[in-house]
Amino acid sequence: MESNGKINGMSDWEDIKHLYARAGFGLGFDESRKKENSSLRKALDNLFSGGRPGLFRLPSEYVSLQEKAMDLEGSMMKNFKAKNLEDKAKKFMPLVITNWYDSMADSRNPLLEKMTLFWHGHFACRSKLPHMAVRQVNTIRQHALGNFRDLVQAIAKDPSMILYLNNQQNNKEKPNENFARELMELFTIGIGNYSEKDVKEAGRAFTGWKADRIKAEYKFVARRHDFGKKTFMGQTGDFNGEDIINIILENKEVARFIARKIHAYFVNPKIDEKNVNEIADIFYNSDYDIKKTMHHIFSSDWFYASENIGVKIKSPIELYVGLKKILDIQLSNHKPLFFIGRGLGQKLFNPPNVAGWPGDKAWIDNATLMTRLNLPFYFIHANDVVIKGYSSGNSKPKKTIDLRPIFDFYKGKETESIVSDLIRYFIHPRLSADKKLLTAGLKRNTEKEIIISMVSRTLSLPEYQLC
Amino acid sequence: MKRRDFLKTSSLATGAMMLPEFIRSTGLFDIWNDKVGKRLVVVQLSGGNDGLNTIVPFENDIYYNARPRLGIEKGKVIRLNDTLGFNPVLQPLESVFKEGEMTIINSVGYPNPDRSHFRSMDIWQTGSGSEEYWSTGWLGRFLDNECNGCPPYYALDVDDNLNLALKGKEKDGFATNNIGKLRKTSGNRFLKMVAEHHHDDHDHDNVAYLYKTMTDTQSSADYLFEKSKVHRSTVTYPQTTFGKDLKQISELMTAKANIRIYYASLGGFDTHAGQKGKQDRLLETYAEGMKAFIRDLKKNGLFDETLILTFSEFGRRVKQNAGNGTDHGTANNLFMMGGRLKKQGFFNAAPDLSDLDNGDLKYQIDFRQIYSEVINHWMDGDAEKVLGQRFSSLNMIG
Repeated sequence: MESNGKINGMSDWEDIKHLYARAGFGLGFDESRKKENSSLRKALDNLFSGGRPGLFRLPSEYVSLQEKAMDLEGSMMKNFKAKNLEDKAKKFMPLVITNWYDSMADSRNPLLEKMTLFWHGHFACRSKLPHMAVRQVNTIRQHALGNFRDLVQAIAKDPSMILYLNNQQNNKEKPNENFARELMELFTIGIGNYSEKDVKEAGRAFTGWKADRIKAEYKFVARRHDFGKKTFMGQTGDFNGEDIINIILENKEVARFIARKIHAYFVNPKIDEKNVNEIADIFYNSDYDIKKTMHHIFSSDWFYASENIGVKIKSPIELYVGLKKILDIQLSNHKPLFFIGRGLGQKLFNPPNVAGWPGDKAWIDNATLMTRLNLPFYFIHANDVVIKGYSSGNSKPKKTIDLRPIFDFYKGKETESIVSDLIRYFIHPRLSADKKLLTAGLKRNTEKEIIISMVSRTLSLPEYQLC
Repeated sequence: MKRRDFLKTSSLATGAMMLPEFIRSTGLFDIWNDKVGKRLVVVQLSGGNDGLNTIVPFENDIYYNARPRLGIEKGKVIRLNDTLGFNPVLQPLESVFKEGEMTIINSVGYPNPDRSHFRSMDIWQTGSGSEEYWSTGWLGRFLDNECNGCPPYYALDVDDNLNLALKGKEKDGFATNNIGKLRKTSGNRFLKMVAEHHHDDHDHDNVAYLYKTMTDTQSSADYLFEKSKVHRSTVTYPQTTFGKDLKQISELMTAKANIRIYYASLGGFDTHAGQKGKQDRLLETYAEGMKAFIRDLKKNGLFDETLILTFSEFGRRVKQNAGNGTDHGTANNLFMMGGRLKKQGFFNAAPDLSDLDNGDLKYQIDFRQIYSEVINHWMDGDAEKVLGQRFSSLNMIG
């Protein structure tokens, strides 16, 4: 077990905040207040007792469309119906995406949500159809804190992935090695640890691994599978895809490859080789136990070292979900989410390519940064926003935010202490935001207006972009 | 107090800071800007333009047999040489071609072509091979290598977000399709005040990076806004978004804005079904826009200093499909326009329709050879550094 100073009582609010920023999507206002006097041990225990992952469901209207298409299984109409389903399906995609955002902002199981998003970026895959997308995200959720081997095996049989990386076209007569290559290059071991011959042989082992487009299920087509002998990474046998994955995972390079990625995502984009080796050791020696590995990281003193705090540029999804938690953003339609995805450069189920989102500085250019910095203004000050506790708008507002907990808590308090609080909750002190800026020019406003302005300004600071 | 008034926080307005960018934006030092020199305009046709119905091989039976419904009648084609001609909607560009201001390069592509839009566009924008995943673009790396002391807007993407081609490791291009709107978002008073009060935090890399990008954007927005008001084009552009984008580019060029690379795009070329009407409308939008743009540049004495490169992420299959459209293909034609082309007209022979790879055109010229040519001989850069390998010269511009 860890013998750790931080965990054994020497912790403080900054550590808890850091933990939730990285292992989840930050904390809302009430959550911050509740946890600020708690212990890091308790926070960690909470994070790791999220229970079984809840799974996403398709809207019933969609399921009936899918069932209709299934009825025609085997008939001449099958291909036509698959196409028909695809045409009708597209409009349900925003709903699937909205549900996912809601789930990320829901504070019950933040670690699972964060791990799901991490693996979604790692096993980067474009899904255009709701039943495929939901199936994939559920597969990831089931294994997100489980065993990496099970996760890789499940992804190799995931219909979206089979279609995305052309395994659907991988037949013994004419192998397509796209999936086999990316499996090694991007998903498990990294370039330089396998030969072109290995790619070819692995490609053969995955022949006949197909997707049923209507059911969104894996199917093995034996007549397309190459049952012959393969020589892969120095071993010879009549391997199938599962064997190939197991052989790859025997290599400790896999643990190092994933550890680097975990380090860049959860600890620091600047790699510390010593920490990476430590993560890789835990990962490999636990036979790829993800939960154990993440627990080790989040209980390590080095995770809380000052050089790892506030150094990560939030991804667009981290940024939006964080704001959603603080402001309780509720949207009546999907348009703002579409705008965020496009404007900030991160669309769920639609990474730029199989290498996933490059992250960190790559999120930022002049246009995305200005959109990011204006995002709190957009959700707080736009004409069509109803602020619960302040403005009464029409009965069916397009966007609402709820600042009642913040108003209630700060009623009658001095602006200086409110500003200090907000910065303590939402900005890291090392980033030294200038408190005077947050109150400048507000004297003539009502108490609530001053609070609204201070919240909006705090969240608009460039420092808020970091976690 | 009314909500609207309270949101204004007008007391925060401050005088212009004496940052170098602000000095530049006053126009006092416009003498610097006369050094802009040769400009590159990249036009991206997104979705995969059908090259065979753009430059039509009107003497080729294979073409007409493969496209019984889609083939463009020989009599309607605008003949450019004995075997190739324009789709009739490209008529506005006929004079450009005939006056030697256009080079058409046939069969441009890359080994192991990828037929996914996203992937193939990545490959074109980054300049990678088809089995590599790069996260920087060819023009972004040009900025990294060649652009010490360039202003942040030196490469301008006329779009609402920056495309990968213009993302470098250290430096990025600048994206805006609406300078007025950009000035509004970057004119957020609170953010201006934050920028003015910030002191460099050298030991915190990402904070410094965010602040630098923010202040660069704020000053660039002011600069571009000023520049965009200097000159109003007198040429009539078509009333399309594409036309508007080109007009914006020409006005900035005429105002001698210190911008060397412009990037515009026109989308919708993914014509799987009912291609004829769709593609014709898009090509017409393209041709009419380009015609006005070129006329404008000539009028302002800028055409000789300009190279316009038009590409699409892939061409389409030779055979039409059952829906009177065409599916994703491979190699395609690429256009260069400008006043200083070495090789005018057709650069190389028409694609060989009797020698196909599984129904698709085989590439003859790697698109990176063209990038290399542009970087070395137009942009005075070092293509080998930008592209990571050496490509032989095509000797077509300079």
